[in-house]
Parts: sequence; C-alpha cells; structure tokens
Amino acid sequence: MNLKIKFVPYEKFKKNGGRLLKDIQENTILLIDAKISSEEEAYVIEETMRKVSDRFSGVEMSSLEMGSKAANVLGMIRNALIERILGKKRGITIIGPAKVVRKIKKNPEDLLLYM
Amino acid sequence: MVMKHFKRLHNGLKKSISSIAEAIFRKKKRIKIGIYGPVNSGKTTLANRICMDWLGEEMGKASPVPHETREVTMKENVIIKQGGKSLTFNLIDTPGIATKIDFEDFIRFGIKKRLAKQRAKEATKGVIEAIKWLDNMDMVIVVVDSTKDPLTQVNITILGNLDARKTPFVIVGNKTDMKSSNMEAIKNAFPNYRIVGISAKEGINIESLYSALLKML
Repeated sequence: MNLKIKFVPYEKFKKNGGRLLKDIQENTILLIDAKISSEEEAYVIEETMRKVSDRFSGVEMSSLEMGSKAANVLGMIRNALIERILGKKRGITIIGPAKVVRKIKKNPEDLLLYM
Repeated sequence: MVMKHFKRLHNGLKKSISSIAEAIFRKKKRIKIGIYGPVNSGKTTLANRICMDWLGEEMGKASPVPHETREVTMKENVIIKQGGKSLTFNLIDTPGIATKIDFEDFIRFGIKKRLAKQRAKEATKGVIEAIKWLDNMDMVIVVVDSTKDPLTQVNITILGNLDARKTPFVIVGNKTDMKSSNMEAIKNAFPNYRIVGISAKEGINIESLYSALLKML
C-alpha cells in the first residue's frame, strides 16, 4: 500500500477542504498546521459521509490546540492576539483514512497514531 | 466554508424573526430537545425511557447493532413535570455521529452483505441529517458512553458545535449500571459542563436528568 503524508497549510484547507478529502481516499494522511474549528470538524464529517463507499469507510481525525492553557489573563490576551493576527488557532489537525489509521489517541499534550 | 458562515447568520436571523413573530402573534412554539452522541451510546434507549415515562409509549428501536437509528425521528408534545415545574417539548432522536462507517461491521452482527451495504449507505445519510439538524435544536442532551474513553473526536466535535451555536446542553454519562462505567473520566474530560450519570436501560438516576432539563429552561 502506498501511504503518503501531506502537510497542508490551514489556508489551503479552508479553501479546498472538500477536495482534500480526495487525497485521503487515496491513502494520504493530512497534517494541517492549525487546530480546525468544531464547525470545520463537522464539515469534514459531513463530506466524509458523502464519500463513504465499499472501498472508503471514512476517516480518523484529531486535533491538538497549542498555547491554550495560559497561566494568567495576560497570557490569554497574548494567545488571543496571536490567533487573531495569524487568522487561525495554533495547533495541529490530523485526518487520515480509517482503513490505514486505526485510531488516534489524544493525550492532553500529544496525539498518538495507531496504524 | 464562507457559505457555512452565511448559513449560520441566516439561521440566527431566522430564529430572531421567529421569536418576534411568536411574541406578536402569541403563537406557542414547541422547543426542540435533541439527543445527540456517538454510535451505540444509548440515545434511542434514553429517548424510549423519556417517552415511556411521560407518554407511555416508546419512540424507536434500540439494538446493539451500530447505526440502528438511521433517521432523525421526533416525538411531539412530551411534557415532563417535577417539583411544580413543567416543560413541554418535541423530543428528537438522532442517528449516532461517526467519522467512519464500514459495512463489514454489520456483517459481523450476522447481517447479509447486500443489506449491510444498504445499511451503511442509510447510516451515512443519517449522520449528515443529524449534523444539519443541530441548527434546529433549542436544547441538547449529549449521550456519552460512560464505559468508554470520553475524549473522542465525535464527542469533542458535538460539544464544540453546541458551544459555537450557544445551544444549552447537558452531558449524560450513560450505562452507569455497567461495572466498567467511569463517570470520573467524563467529569475530568469536560470539567466545565453540566454532567449527569444515568442508566437509560435500567432507569437509574433519570430524575436527575429531568431536573437538569428543567433548570436549563
């Protein structure tokens, strides 16, 4: 099996989310350089369901937010400002084909892929 | 993605106009309470428990086979009463949300291949329908299996979407009758949310869920 890992800027995911699922159907694991929002997660689930077939059963998905646990109010403001400037939540999102990625375990500060 | 934002704005405006119309014409609008959660968490079992308690009849078929509920179903005019308070609502049972559906999982339960594929197809449509119905809910009961790890993507996605829509919700840790039930894990995973532990199958602590719903009014 030809497994690929694709690093995707969040901006590209925002623009072409649906089309990127085609890559996942072709055994590609997507690594997005941001934590996608809950609405975007719901969108991924919806689009995945439209593509489920005999050969493609769906995805495993998980994201990790970085810098969310600020020690004080100043830290929270700093994080919010950085995210405002960047236009995305700092973190990482992994989306992979369910037939390849058996499970993604989310620990508080890391993600573990079981293949 | 942009369309999604416009859709949410449109839904928000629709809800506001509906509230104003209701105030002007004093038309009673039934609130909609949805039951959401991952597959096999006990949503339909809970829906049946609520309907049996207050209407004397069940709502749908529950079974250990995943994706038994594959359509959004509604029971109208459910009235719950407790401590002098009452709440009238339409109860909506939804298909379990999943990021993957494999027809081979149904074959393991003895379902023939052709029917298994058909069931998988229906289940995918059910998940899409359940996500779309999130916009229509006034309140949500999120059913989580207390015997499993609560920090799953599906649970996080459901709660995140309810937060984003500012939809009031209560998390129900179901299956507390099982030895492997771990309510502490749910409380640690979601420390800022209202959580109630129940067994929908055995009818344990359901009164606490009704209290929580009445408090959320």
